[in-house]
Amino acid sequence: MATVLIENLTKVYPPTSNNPTQVQALGGVNMSVTGNVFVAIVGPSGSGKTTLLNIVAGVERPTSGAARALQEGVPAQIGYVFQEPRLLPWRTVVDNMLYVQDRKSDRSRREAEFYLQMVGLSEVADLYPAQLSAGMQQRVGIARAFLVNPDVLLLDEPFSHLDALTGRSLRDYLQRIWLQTRKTALFVTHDVTEAVELADRIVMLRPGGVAYDDMPVDLPRPRRPGDPAVREMQDEVLRRFDAMGAAVRFGAAEAAR
Amino acid sequence: MSDIRAYEGLAGLRTDEARPAAARAAGAAAGPLTLRGLLRRAWFIRLLAVGLLVFIWQWVTWTNTRVPGIDEIVRFMITEMTGGSHGGQLTGEFWEPLSLSLQRYGIGLAIGVPVGAVVGLIMGASRWARGLFNDTVLVLLALPAVVWAFLAALWFGLSAWGPILAVVLTAVPFMAINLSAGVRDIDQGLVQMSRSFGVPLGRRLYHLLLGGTLPSGFTGLRLAFMTGWNSLLIVEWFGATSGVGWRARFWYDALRYPGFVAWIFLFVLLITVVDRVLLNPLERRAFEWNQRPTLTFEEEL
Repeated sequence: MATVLIENLTKVYPPTSNNPTQVQALGGVNMSVTGNVFVAIVGPSGSGKTTLLNIVAGVERPTSGAARALQEGVPAQIGYVFQEPRLLPWRTVVDNMLYVQDRKSDRSRREAEFYLQMVGLSEVADLYPAQLSAGMQQRVGIARAFLVNPDVLLLDEPFSHLDALTGRSLRDYLQRIWLQTRKTALFVTHDVTEAVELADRIVMLRPGGVAYDDMPVDLPRPRRPGDPAVREMQDEVLRRFDAMGAAVRFGAAEAAR
Repeated sequence: MSDIRAYEGLAGLRTDEARPAAARAAGAAAGPLTLRGLLRRAWFIRLLAVGLLVFIWQWVTWTNTRVPGIDEIVRFMITEMTGGSHGGQLTGEFWEPLSLSLQRYGIGLAIGVPVGAVVGLIMGASRWARGLFNDTVLVLLALPAVVWAFLAALWFGLSAWGPILAVVLTAVPFMAINLSAGVRDIDQGLVQMSRSFGVPLGRRLYHLLLGGTLPSGFTGLRLAFMTGWNSLLIVEWFGATSGVGWRARFWYDALRYPGFVAWIFLFVLLITVVDRVLLNPLERRAFEWNQRPTLTFEEEL
């Protein structure tokens, strides 16, 4: 069983030539995720969502605290879906998939084709990324993340660069694959509808990277944005965000005094 | 790529961009064989340009006796190639100077290209190495080949080492500076992606580094080939007793202008052939993935 442990995690970016003041991306986040759950991390821009995932993935170092993704006590295999597809332009779709795969064999290729089929792209395995639309490239990114049989799946606003229709279709693909594989997933988004549609639990971050709220989403799957229960939950999340906004504003006003 | 049309119905597929440049070029070229149609064909325009150049050359030879005519140049080169007599004791020499130059060129590139590539990769990967090599590479880039000719003559005498050294010292900075820039231009998003998936270093070097630096590597390679050949000619001219450059100078000193121009023509022809026969096909193959190449000649028209 996979576990993601985040303990008092802070990240402060030092001043740069473009920005002379230091920036606090995360300000002491504590979180624990265990088992086959889909956790959405929701927050406005600047709340450190992407930084949090990057630290869990090991591509950024925290300023203090720790974030560990473990599978039975050893470092977990990570599958990461980025905001942009991040495909090697000079490799075909299937070669992009196999690039992250440990084994090179006919079986690996068959597995890659299986996941491509799951995202509806089995015909494009031998094409180059430039030959695909943005939505198709992002689907390849999703298939690639599942191909490594990840213990922990990280998704960083994977639909944010897509139009609404393509984004909705990709959410359906993601939901379908996740229901079949049930990986431990951390899904970063600023879209409350996406979070409610996909997650078992929603963690809210406020600007400055501080966890503000943590609420379960106990709704049957598959979910649709138009379902009354989904809408109700969405309203609840938004109410809490409004309260958080008021608290943040109130806090700022108090501090100014 | 020929089966691209099989996917044309697939939603989101960029079929137009997916069509290879060659196919688009063929499409653009297809048309009735009218003068207007001919003027849109690349081969015809190139032929026209060569014809125009030949005409201007020939016209200049009619008005100026110091410029040899094309017929004279061709006759001279035939005498050189067949080992015939140029009058007196002078006989034709072709294969020996040519093979010596090609040999020196090949050895120079075989040393200079890999050395430059390694230096460039290290410079791109390490700020410390960039600090160490950057000025040296810039000095090598800035020094004209003729300086190497004199230095090589001083160091090695009139031997084969001078031309070889000149090719090496020309190839190294072009490869180094371009590959260094190529490494630094690799998309950091791809590097992050590779690290997050735990892709092993060897695979990263092969797929990410090689693929990412291929465009700049090709630019470096092309410049190394072109300028290396130029350096070779200059160093052979001033600091050798054999080779294409030496033979061109031999006829220049003998005031036999058709011979001098014939060898210069051969020199230009050889580098054009290297570019067209070796570098262009290699580049096309290496950039098969890039569906938006620089504008083709036909598209520009």
